[in-house]
Amino acid sequence: MAVSHTESHTGARLAAGWRIQRRVIAALMIRELTTRFGRENIGFLWVMAEPLLFATLVGLLWRIMHGVSEHGINVFAFVATGYLPMVLFRNAVNRSVGLFQANASLMYHRQILIQDFVLVRFCVECIGHMMAYLFIGVVMVALGLFPMPYDLALMLAGWAVYGWFTLAMCCLLAPLSELSPVLEKVMPVSVYLMVPFSGAFTMAAWLAPGARALLLCSPPVHGMEMMRAGLFGPAHQAYYALFYPLAVSGAIMAVGLWLCRQVRRHLVVEA
Amino acid sequence: MIRCTGLAKHYPQGRARKQVLAGLDLVVRPGQRLGILGRNGAGKTTLIKLIGGVELPSSGVVERQMSLSWPLGFGGGFQGSLTGFDNARFIARIYGRDYADIRGFVEDFSELGRQLAMPVKTYSAGMKARLAFALSLAIEFDCYLIDEVIMVGDQNFQRKCMAELFEKRADRALILASHAPEMIRRLCDSALLLEGGHGRLFADVEEGLAAYEAL
Repeated sequence: MAVSHTESHTGARLAAGWRIQRRVIAALMIRELTTRFGRENIGFLWVMAEPLLFATLVGLLWRIMHGVSEHGINVFAFVATGYLPMVLFRNAVNRSVGLFQANASLMYHRQILIQDFVLVRFCVECIGHMMAYLFIGVVMVALGLFPMPYDLALMLAGWAVYGWFTLAMCCLLAPLSELSPVLEKVMPVSVYLMVPFSGAFTMAAWLAPGARALLLCSPPVHGMEMMRAGLFGPAHQAYYALFYPLAVSGAIMAVGLWLCRQVRRHLVVEA
Repeated sequence: MIRCTGLAKHYPQGRARKQVLAGLDLVVRPGQRLGILGRNGAGKTTLIKLIGGVELPSSGVVERQMSLSWPLGFGGGFQGSLTGFDNARFIARIYGRDYADIRGFVEDFSELGRQLAMPVKTYSAGMKARLAFALSLAIEFDCYLIDEVIMVGDQNFQRKCMAELFEKRADRALILASHAPEMIRRLCDSALLLEGGHGRLFADVEEGLAAYEAL
C-alpha cells in the first residue's frame, strides 16, 4: 500500500512518493477538467476558449486604436503575445483563492497533498492559455499577421520563466487567502496592478532607463521580454536576465510552500 | 501496526482554544478490532480523522505501518457534480488500482444500477453511503477506519456490509467509533473509552462498555 511508512531506504521512499504524486496529480487534473468543462460539446477545449476570445478582442481593439504597428511591431501580434500570459497570471491567481477549503474533503485521501491542488489548477490554466497562444499563432501566421518565431527555444524559455513566477504566486496566495479573508476581497483589484508590471503592453526598450530599471524589478517582465525576443528576433532590443526572475520566484515559492504547511496543519475537514 | 504517541488536538474557539484530545497513546495491531466509545463531543471523530491523516495533530505522531483505509463516512471526498462512475474512476486512479475491477465491485455491491451514471449530488444519503462503502471495500486495506457509518442504509445493505467487512475480511484490523453498544460488543475485541481528552483502554469489551454506561 502506497501510503504506509515502512522503514525502507530513503531513496526508495522518495521514488515511491514521486510515483504516487504523479498518479494523484494526473487524477486531479482529469477531475478538474471534467468538473469544470464536462463532457458535452467541445469539453475540455473550453479551457482555451476564454483566453482566446479575450486576446482576440483586445488585439482587435488595439489594432483599431493604435493602427497597424507599434514601434515597428505588428500591433495584433504584440497585444496577443502580451495579453495571453497576463490573462494566465490573472486567472491562475484568482483560481487559487479559497482553493484549500473548496477541496478540503479530498483530504480524506492521505496521498493527496494540498500543494497538489495549487499545481493542478495552475497546470490546467497554463495548458489552456498555451493552447490558445498556439492557436492564435497558427491562425495569424497563416493570415500573415504574425512572424514565424525567430528562436522557439528562447520563446519557450520565456514561457517557463513567466509560468514559474505565476506558479510561485499561486503557491503564496492560496494559503494566504485561507489565513486572511480580506485578501479574497482585494485580490481582483490588486491583480490589475499586474497590468503595468507584467510587461504585457510595453517593451523595456521603449522606456527611459530609469523606468526600465523599475520595470525590470518585476520578474515576469523578464519572461515576457524573452518570449518577445524569441518571437520577433534581434530587430527589437530585449532586456532580460535569467537568474534574477527564477531566484525571486523561487523565494516566493519557498515562502508559499511553508505557508501551505501551516495551513494544512490547521485545516479543519468536515466529517 | 498503527501507533499513536502523545496525540493532542485543539481547535480555536473564539480567542480560546478547545482541547479535544490531550495526549493520547494508542497501538492497534494487525487483526485487532478496536471500538471507540465516548459521548458526543468526546473526540471520537477527531481521533478517527487524526489516525486517518485527514487532519493533522496539534502535537504527537501517528505512525502507520499497515495500509489504512480512509475514514468511512458518507460524503467524504465525493465531488457532487461528478457521477458515481467518475468518483470510482478517481479513486481507482489515486490508489493505483484497475478501474474495471473497481467498477465491477461497485456496481455489484452498491446495487445503484443506472444511478451510478448520475451526478452524486442527486443521491439520497443512503445511496451516498452505499457508494462510499462500495468504494472503500473495492480497495483492500489491512485496517479499516469506520465512523458510525454502518447505521445508515436499509436492512439489506447493512447485512451486505456486515458480510463483506466482518466475514470476508475477518482477518483485518478495524477501528470503529460508535454509540451503539451492541455493535461494539458484536464486532470488537477491545475498546477505547474517550473522556476529557484522554483515553482508557480495555482489553475486555464488556468492561469498556460498563465504564461507558457508568459515565
